[in-house]
Amino acid sequence: MNSFLAVSNLSFSYGRKRTLNGVNFSVNNRETVALLGANGAGKTTLLKICAGLLPPEIGEVRFHGRLLSDCPRRDVAKKIALVPQEVQVSFHFTVQQLVEQGRTPHLPSLFSGLRQIDRAVVQEAMDCADVGHLRNRSFNDLSGGERQRVKIALAIAQQPELLLLDEPTQHLDIGRQAEVFCILRRLNESGVTIIAAVHDLESARAKFASGILLRSDSSALCGPIDSVLTPVSIREAFGISFNERHAGQSTDELASREHLQKTNGAQI
Amino acid sequence: MALLLGSMLLGTSIGAVHISPRTVLGIAFGTHAGSSPAERLILLQVRLPRVLAAAVIGAALSVAGVLFQGLFRNPMAEPYVLGTSGGAAFGAAIGVFLFPYTSILGFSAAASLAFVGSIVTIMCVYGLARVGGKTPTVPLLLAGIAISVVLTESSSAFVYLRDEISWNARNLALWLQGSIGTVGWTQLFVAGGMLSCGLLLAIPLRRILNVLALGEEYALQLGIPLELARVAIILVASLLTSAAVLLGGVIAFVGLLVPHLVRLLIGPEHGRLLAYSAICGASYLILADAFARTVIAPAELPVGILTAFLGGPLLLYLLRRTKREYAL
Repeated sequence: MNSFLAVSNLSFSYGRKRTLNGVNFSVNNRETVALLGANGAGKTTLLKICAGLLPPEIGEVRFHGRLLSDCPRRDVAKKIALVPQEVQVSFHFTVQQLVEQGRTPHLPSLFSGLRQIDRAVVQEAMDCADVGHLRNRSFNDLSGGERQRVKIALAIAQQPELLLLDEPTQHLDIGRQAEVFCILRRLNESGVTIIAAVHDLESARAKFASGILLRSDSSALCGPIDSVLTPVSIREAFGISFNERHAGQSTDELASREHLQKTNGAQI
Repeated sequence: MALLLGSMLLGTSIGAVHISPRTVLGIAFGTHAGSSPAERLILLQVRLPRVLAAAVIGAALSVAGVLFQGLFRNPMAEPYVLGTSGGAAFGAAIGVFLFPYTSILGFSAAASLAFVGSIVTIMCVYGLARVGGKTPTVPLLLAGIAISVVLTESSSAFVYLRDEISWNARNLALWLQGSIGTVGWTQLFVAGGMLSCGLLLAIPLRRILNVLALGEEYALQLGIPLELARVAIILVASLLTSAAVLLGGVIAFVGLLVPHLVRLLIGPEHGRLLAYSAICGASYLILADAFARTVIAPAELPVGILTAFLGGPLLLYLLRRTKREYAL
């Protein structure tokens, strides 16, 4: 049986610096995966490779058993959506106009307009991400939390099977973070597989079933979230050994919470 | 549309010889009531071609401006951003100084060489900025600026190298500031054809331009063939710019101003933006040219001076009124 997304022996370098080295993992359909790692560990790079935006230097990425690099870009865009960390919109496009762009890969051609069904999907995507009331506002006038939800709405309009998110809760307060996780849970329940780069180990543990931890030697550790986030692995990946005492405390604290939480199946 | 027709009517009726709008309409609909043969001659052979030429130039420059601003995600971009103006100036300088009496299809050597110069320049700029099958936008802009400066200054150097300064230099200056002058039907037909091609090709690019507003990476993510899109936009915009250069030289500011005005009025969605920019650009240049012909009649100002005089304050007024931070 082909797994949903399989990454094997993946390596990637920017110039001389090897960012990813022999990364292996596979993701099942409808799984929720937290992508963890220190700043600069290659989370964004890995997401881009999984979205087919960057070609792997060594190794391969298979989606439904097919090499991602062999699939036409438009077909990939119908199945995999990436929500980038930052987006700069030139000119004052409205929220609805932006979400409509998510339909681009589904249109019969690049030159055709939106069809009835596209409008319905756009409406649904805006409702799902709770941005319907912002439809006529300019994206550039929105707050951080609202922008994040609009970017997710755009991705939902792509109707992806796999949704990749690059730090979707960055710069958001806990209320806005909860909103984002709520949207992601709804999506996951409707059958979308989710891989999200996150920094907060607490929410990673609470919201995701599995984890991929990019280690300091550029390889990756993956599996159920609790087996990935151990005091040892956290200390190693985030390089906090220079302050053993405090770091040790906090990671051990995290580890002890494992026993309190029963984690099974999809979380978020 | 009403705006366009209205400005055409106004443009055809005013000038060194005044023809009443009613007479213009009469001639247009084939009833010669109340019009003298002289009026008909002026209207059909001089005034109408000129107004149509202004419309073609205005529409072409405005649409090219929309395309370049969309491609570079930068409201500072204008039709001559890839060095067209420098190329045109250089071509025109050669034409004015070396072949002052030659003409092709009714176009003077200066016009034809400016046209060739602008196209060759864009090809060079594109070639220079292309690295490993990709054409990143920043090198493209820088190459455009560099080449444009070199060519513009070289053509100024011509003025000092040649002795017959008076007439030729004035002719060249007229060219570089942009002026429409007398236009024949053949010339109009050629440039109009180029405009129609450009417009037909520009409208289908609207979706690509919209997606490009999100950034090139997003565009790639959404399945846009980025390099192809870039080439298509550059080609269409260059075709339009060269059509304008062919008819009227380097007319400043229209291609920068009109897309902004239209965007402030109807928003940035490129389908509507392209259509409205074409119409407003045409009307704007017809009116500007009408002023250029009449302000110091019977002499004329280069229309490029007028477009800047009228457009600058208008843009400033709108920017102040909307008081919105302009997103780059």
